[in-house]
This record gives sequence, C-alpha cells and structure tokens, in this order.
Amino acid sequence: MAGIDFGLIVTGQAGQGLQVIAQALAGVFVRSGYHVFVSQDVMSRIRGGHNFTRVRIATKPVGADADRAQMLVALDAKLASLHLSELADDGLVLIDPDDGSRPETGHEIVAVPLRRLAREHGREVMTNSVALGAALALLQHDPEALRRPIQELFAGKGQAVADENLACARAGFDFVCAEGRTCRERIPRIAEDAGRLFLTGAQALGLGAIAAGVRLVAGYPMSPATPIFEFCARNAAEAGIAVELVEDEIAAINMALGAAFAGARAMTCTAGGGFCLMNEGLSLAGMTETPVVIMVGMRPGPATGLATRTAQADLLFCLSAGHGEFPRAVLAPADPEQAFHATIRAFRIAEEFQTPVIVLFDQFMADATRTIGNLQLPIANLQSAERQSLPEGAYRRYEASESGVSPFLRPGTKGQLVYVDSDEHNEEGHITESAEVRVRMVEKRARKAGGIAVMLEPPEVWPGPGRKTMVVGFGSTRGAVLEAVERLRGKGLDVGVLHICDIWPFPIDSVRAALEDSRRVITVENNWSGQVARLLRQEAGITAAGSVRRFDGRQFAVAEVAAGIERLAEGKTG
Amino acid sequence: MLTAEYWSRAGENAWCPGCGNFGILSALKQALAELQLEPWRVCIVSGIGQAGKLPHYVKCNFLHGLHGRALPTAIGVKLANPGLKVIAVGGDGDMYGEGGGALLHAFRRNPEIACFVHNNGVYGLTKGQASPTSAAGFRTRATPEGTALPGFNPLAAGIAMSGTFVARGFAGDREGLTRLMVLALKHKGFGFIDILQPCVTYNKVNTHKWYQERVFDIGTRQHDPLDIERALERAREWPEADPEGRIPLGLFYSAQRPSYDEQLPVLRQGAPVEARPDPRKVEQAIEEFRQHGRD
Repeated sequence: MAGIDFGLIVTGQAGQGLQVIAQALAGVFVRSGYHVFVSQDVMSRIRGGHNFTRVRIATKPVGADADRAQMLVALDAKLASLHLSELADDGLVLIDPDDGSRPETGHEIVAVPLRRLAREHGREVMTNSVALGAALALLQHDPEALRRPIQELFAGKGQAVADENLACARAGFDFVCAEGRTCRERIPRIAEDAGRLFLTGAQALGLGAIAAGVRLVAGYPMSPATPIFEFCARNAAEAGIAVELVEDEIAAINMALGAAFAGARAMTCTAGGGFCLMNEGLSLAGMTETPVVIMVGMRPGPATGLATRTAQADLLFCLSAGHGEFPRAVLAPADPEQAFHATIRAFRIAEEFQTPVIVLFDQFMADATRTIGNLQLPIANLQSAERQSLPEGAYRRYEASESGVSPFLRPGTKGQLVYVDSDEHNEEGHITESAEVRVRMVEKRARKAGGIAVMLEPPEVWPGPGRKTMVVGFGSTRGAVLEAVERLRGKGLDVGVLHICDIWPFPIDSVRAALEDSRRVITVENNWSGQVARLLRQEAGITAAGSVRRFDGRQFAVAEVAAGIERLAEGKTG
Repeated sequence: MLTAEYWSRAGENAWCPGCGNFGILSALKQALAELQLEPWRVCIVSGIGQAGKLPHYVKCNFLHGLHGRALPTAIGVKLANPGLKVIAVGGDGDMYGEGGGALLHAFRRNPEIACFVHNNGVYGLTKGQASPTSAAGFRTRATPEGTALPGFNPLAAGIAMSGTFVARGFAGDREGLTRLMVLALKHKGFGFIDILQPCVTYNKVNTHKWYQERVFDIGTRQHDPLDIERALERAREWPEADPEGRIPLGLFYSAQRPSYDEQLPVLRQGAPVEARPDPRKVEQAIEEFRQHGRD
C-alpha cells in the first residue's frame, strides 16, 4: 500500500464547533494507526468570523500542514471559497445546501443537509457532529470509531448529550453512504494499537513543568500562553502545584520569584506583551540570582498585534530583555517532544545556575496538536537532591566562587539567615556602593554563563554539516524546514538543516562547525527583520545570503519554504 | 527570651537623624520579641525607598526587592513555605503608588502576611516629590503649584476591599504601634497597618508635633471593628477637611473570612518547598494523552 498523506480543512465561524470535528477526526485516525497533525487558525473573537483547522493524516511522521487538502468541510458554505486555492483539483467540498450559498468551483461538491439532520437527530447546535459523520463516510472509515472520541469530547456534558451527538454523526454518515459518495482516497485502520501520544505544544510545556517538579505557577491569561496555565491549573491538586491566577504579569513574575527565593521551583507563562511587563522582574531574578522559568509565547506585535496568531519576532527581545547585564538561558523548542525536554532542562539550568531561564515558543507550536511516540522521564532530574548545603559559620548568600554560583540556602533553615537584595550587594547580601564589590559581583554573575552553555543541547544538524546550502532556523519552523529540505534533496539539491532549540548562550562553536564548509547560508524565520540572520552575524560572524521570511501571523507552508530555499540556493538574494 | 535588642543588626543606618522610620523599626523589634519568634523563621520582603531598607536593620531573613512589588513577592514566599512568618514592608510611594494594584488584590486575597506601610506623605529617596498620600495643595519641586489630587485613603480602600485587618498606627506612638503590630503578626490573614510617619527632611506640614496634637486611640471611643459603616466613617476623618479634626489610630475594620492560605487545597498537602516530584504522577499525566487503538 502506498503511503497515505491526506489533508483536510474544516472551516466555519467561531462558536460552530470546528474543534469538535477536527479533534474527533484526529482521534479516530490516531487510534487507527496514523500520524496526525492539526493546526488552528482562529480569530480573536468568541462568535462569528472565519476560523479554520487543518488536519493532516499520514502514514509517516509529520510536523507541518499538508501542502494541499483533499477535503474541505465548510460549516458555513460561504466560507468555502476562501479555501479553494488550497484544495487539490480532485478534492471535494462538503457543504450544507440549506446555507443558500454554493461555491463557484470545478471541485466536486457533496451537499449534506447538516442543520436539518442535526435538528432531526439531536439539536441544531450539533450540526458539527453531522459534518463529522459525513466526513468519516467520505473517507470510508468505520463509523464505530467515532464512539470513543465523541464520548471523550462530550463526557463533561452528560451521557444524553454524548448520545445525541453520536446519533447526529451517524445520521451524517448514513446520509453520505446512501448517496454513494466517497473521497478518492480511503483511509482504513492500519494498526491495532500504535499507542501514540497526541497532544499540543502547550500541553507538553505543562507536562515538562510537572515533570520538573514545579511547585508554583503564577500567571495572567494571554494568548498563546493561556493553555499552559490552564493545563497546570487542571493538574494542580494531583501534581501538588500552587497555581495562582494573579492581577497582572508584574505580580506573576514577582510571586514566582518569591516562591523560588523560598526554595520552591517556580515559573510563570505569558506572551510577548506580558513579558514586557515582567522585564523588571526578570532583571530582579538576574540580580538576586533567583532561579525562575519564564515561558514566553510569541505572537505578532507590536502591542496587541494579531492576538491569536503566530510569529517568531520576540527572539532578540528575549535575549536582551531586562535592564542591566546578567546571564540567562533561552530555549526555543520546536514541538511537543522538545517542549517537554526543554522545559525540564530549563528548570535544571535555572536551579543549578540560580538565574532566569526563558522557554520561548509561539502560537503555532503551542496550539498545534500532533502525534509523538513517547515522553521519557529523565530519572536523574526527578531525583535531584535537596539543594542545600549547610555552611560553617554564618551563611553568605553571594559567596564568591569560581563558577559564579554560590550555595543556595532556603530561608527558614534553622539557625541561618538569608539576605537577598535588588541593590548591588556584598557577599552577605547587604547593600553596597563599593566600586570594588560591584566589579566582583558583576564578574561573579557573568561567570555563570560559561556553565550554562555546557548544559545546553547542541543544535540539530541534518543530514550533516557543510552541505552546499545550509538552512538555519529555530523553534516551531522545524517541521516545515525539515520536510522542505528533504523534498529538495530528493530533487538533487545539496542542502542541509541547522535547527536550534537552545539558542542562548548562542552555540557559536557548533554553529560554526556546521556552517563553515557551506557555500550559502539561508535562514527561515517567522519575522520581518531576519533575527536569526542577525544573530548569526553578531555571534558567529556568519553572514546569511538571504532569509525566507513570513510575518503575516501565519505559519510556514512546506511548499513555500521549499520554494524560498530553492530560490535563494540558486544564487538570488532576498 | 529574645529581647528587642536581640533583633537588631549592627551596621550603619542610612536614614536621616530623627526619621519616623526609627520609631517603626523599634516597634517592630519589640513586637517580634514579644511574640517570641525565632529570626530564622521570619522573612521580611520589602520594596524600594527609605522604608524598603528596613530589613537591613533587623536580624531575620529578607528579600529587598523592587519598588511596588513587595506584596506579590511576599505572597510567593508564603505560598512556597507557609511555615515562615512573612512581613511585607514599604513606603507610601511603594505600596500606594507603584504597588497600588497589588495592594488592592492583597486585601482580596487575604494571605497570612503582615503588611506595614511607612506613610510619610512624600517621596523621600527621590528627594521630596508629592506622594499618593500627600494632601491636595502639597507643594514640592515636582508640583510647584501644589498637587491637585486628593490624597489616597488606604484605610477606606482596605475597608472597601473587605480587609480582614485594617489598622492605622503612628511612628511616634511606639507602644500603640507595637500592640497593633503584635495583633497584625498574629492575624490569620492580611494584617495591614498604615503607619503615619513624619519625614523630617521633606514634609514640613505633617510634622511630628502636628501628628502628636491630633492622634487618638480609636479603642478609647468604643469602636467595633466589625462595624463596616462606622469603620468607613472613621477612615474618612482627617484634619484636611476639618482644621479641628483629629486622626484616629488603631484597628478600624476586620472582615470575618478565612485566609487565602487556609483555602488553598495544595497547602493541605504540606509546604510546597518540602514536596518532591512523584514520577508515577508525571507518568499518569502523560498517559492521559495516549490514544489506544481499541477500548
């Protein structure tokens, strides 16, 4: 059997329940043995407008949207025309004829009276479930497979609601079967139990924090970080986390710092705008040498920008945020697997080097759902010892050391006192304005960067260093870049990938080693100014020949990345 | 028996001679001594300003943090380690200006923290500008025509926010202030004291003598701290409106409701600083995302 790589788009208004269709279909095909990738395109509104979800179902692992869709499900027929250019020539469009609008297209149209069937078998609000059943029939899959996902999606609303939705899905399924309509491609069950995990980047970030033993999460809701906070809140009791919804981001970071100073692993999560408010607190963490993890979700700015969309434009901001000079680490995971492990690493670095660590992600990565094999717990980290060593004599919080790290002691340790100051301070922790002490303390803090660099995961180089053209990226573009480069290599282009997760302290040596024998370096980034290119030049002295950039708030498509690389690899600049 | 002197920390003091801060520091050490607390179990979190320097002169743990941010930081300390006696300290610019939002939400949240605000009605460390509690008309180099704004009323705000311990003390009344501090430190909730404090350098209106002539103990007038209407009336008494007016001191209001710490389920499992990750629970959380082929 040839590999399946099927694209499906579900479109409709906010509030029409697109997620139910996408998540239930994804659930069906994940359980049937496929790799599934689901991405969201959502407007910043609660009802109406135009939202859509892309679902990709494939026999091989996938980390990006499909180039073309073979099926378009339009819960609002007049929105269908917006997606026709993305639909393969032999793709079909599922609409409700009662919407009174029929897209003008040569594509095959399947008209199913979605709302009428919903009213007959349940309630009109279940129109989405009718569409779900109809879509499954077009794919010629077993309708029984819907039982479990529908049950799970509606479990909270009572059995009656779940049953009605199932009846509606069945009605949609039967209608399509009776009409004898099918898609070109059939997507049958291919494995009895692949047992894969299916989760979003945000959920993986939350799982990473739980695995790292986070004890306090403070935050204020802001897209795309809200799902992380809500995930922690849902798991608070079970995982033993104080989850604090606070009045603003300023309170969030200072509360996390207070908890970390007291000896509990603490974090906050926010978006670029919220992180702006946290900058003073970030600087406090640097000065007081307090371990804290800050998850920063990028969305297009400046200011409110495109609130529910994606960007990679806050990279340079995160590298220099906060007044004054102090060491930090910035980790930018690409997908749920990296998100989980990078978060655990972030807590370890924060704790060992008593400094803030930023986990940088974006809306696309946070909201996309995908299948992964497993998440393995790093046992060593979970069993890490109590980070206390009782001093002989009076404790000095900022005792000088070669590594720059002073022994951490928790306030509340019998017979010892801990002094921490946001002013420049002496080794004891008291205010000083001495020029000599100031120099010693600046140098002590700065020394920690060397140790942090050793803890970082080196960048990923595929298929190896020194290809004629090397494509450099970071974070969520990984899936699209790898697939695009694989495709170009298939066409005979000598091209490779350098993809960075742990981006600060910048891995100068490994970047140089991967790129030094290449003729041409290209960056791929979700921003206007080419921030990765600037970083390459500034830190490694390497000038990129050009950048493939996108800054409209949407994620890259594979074909777009491939075309961009091909254009630049041929020698044009852009 | 730990005396007030035991709580002193040797070293140079950066306050102006005659500053009201000395009276507050002395009352705090006396209160800590009376409560027989041990220094390693006490943690002061302060903001920035002359008041924010207070923990440097007390023998206990401290975090001298950012201007206006002492309260959220103190709440973080308390949530992580409920075994600590946590005190948040700042001035009027710190707690009522920069940290005004945090203060309102601290009243709502009602954490088991004592909060002592050194209120001298002027910004000291930045060399004398009008503060949120300066009276309308207060002239400074930053407000040469006199500030047009009425002063912020922290007591009325605390009462309106259903504060569980809303009090006013006076730096010149060491005994009364010590008594209030002891109560605030023992209070199961947010123990807030606005402390009137003369600034000998920059506030020539609200001088030590000016306060001495006007303050009185609210407790001598049969005040009931459960009576919110009367508490609000008392909170609005101030000589600005009435030249003959006087300034009540003491516990104005005490709403009866549980502290935040008591309501937080996770704290019933023990102090978060003592908790250790449980790999089985992490694995359980991961397993929730596994999609099996058959039921």
